[in-house]
Amino acid sequence: MSAFANVSAVAGRLMAEDITQTPSKFWPESYEILYGTIASLLIFGLLFKLAGPLVKKGMAARTAKIQAELDSGQADRAAADTEAAQIRSAKGDIAGERARILAEADAHAASIRTDGAARLAAEIADLEARAEADIVASSGRVDAELRAEIARLSSAAVDHVVTGSLDEATHQELIESFITRVGASA
Amino acid sequence: MSDNRIEGYARGLFEIARAEGTLDEVEDELFRFARSYENSDELRSTLSDEQIPAAKRQAIVEDLLGGKATSTTTQLVSMVVGSGRGRDLPAIVDKLVARASSAKNLELAEVRTAVALTADQQTRLAAALANATGKQVNLKVVIDPSVLGGLVATVGDTVIDGSVRTRIDQLKSRL
Repeated sequence: MSAFANVSAVAGRLMAEDITQTPSKFWPESYEILYGTIASLLIFGLLFKLAGPLVKKGMAARTAKIQAELDSGQADRAAADTEAAQIRSAKGDIAGERARILAEADAHAASIRTDGAARLAAEIADLEARAEADIVASSGRVDAELRAEIARLSSAAVDHVVTGSLDEATHQELIESFITRVGASA
Repeated sequence: MSDNRIEGYARGLFEIARAEGTLDEVEDELFRFARSYENSDELRSTLSDEQIPAAKRQAIVEDLLGGKATSTTTQLVSMVVGSGRGRDLPAIVDKLVARASSAKNLELAEVRTAVALTADQQTRLAAALANATGKQVNLKVVIDPSVLGGLVATVGDTVIDGSVRTRIDQLKSRL
């Protein structure tokens, strides 16, 4: 049989077949299983050969990154713990400092009260002393002014009385008295 | 003016008065004029004012003393004032009086009184002062109203104070 006849026969057969129908309800055609298996093996082999190292390397990098993050987290936690300890310690120090400052303020206030009371007492004593001195001085001044005024008035009165009483007879009497007294004083 | 000049003027006036034979009168008049001069600010400032011409100052002196003092006294004062020594007139006169007293072996006795003394009182006072001081005195009486009453006698360094002024001052001091 000629080739044409063979092809025509095969073609006729194929055209006569219902291509939507397979010999088995569950299994494909044998060649499809064969070619599919071979193709799958090739693809998996290529994948294993070519992509495997990359995947392996990526996984290792990811592992390292995760480990680094874990280490960093651990370090952060340690630092946080240290800082927390410091804060707790500082809090204790703050309480102590607060107590110390309050005690110091109390002592300072007590000192100021004591000093102020002493100073006030001294100032009061000084003011009292000065007031007493002023009173005494004022009293003395008033006495002195009074005495001076009396003396002034008395002087004026003496001048007035004596001058008014010095008539000619008195002048002569004074002169004669002087002459007599001087003459008798040898 | 220096003491030498005052002394020189006093000696000159003294010699003139003695030559004129009027020493006692001139001495007495000059003494009284000097005391008046001291007590009068107006007279002192006028006679010692260099801005007033000498002739005018001398005319003032002659007006003041003319007829009241001897011509010798008037001329002597006029000469001192005219020569621009009016400011030193009291000192010159005091020297002259001291010189005159010394020449007569007398101690100058200056007596200040509020009223004039009679001649009799002056004589008795001179005798009393001579008796009290043991020296013959050349009595010079100065009328000084500030004495008020009584007398103040100064003989050398001795002061005999019987004035009312001093008694009043003592009384005031006690007051």
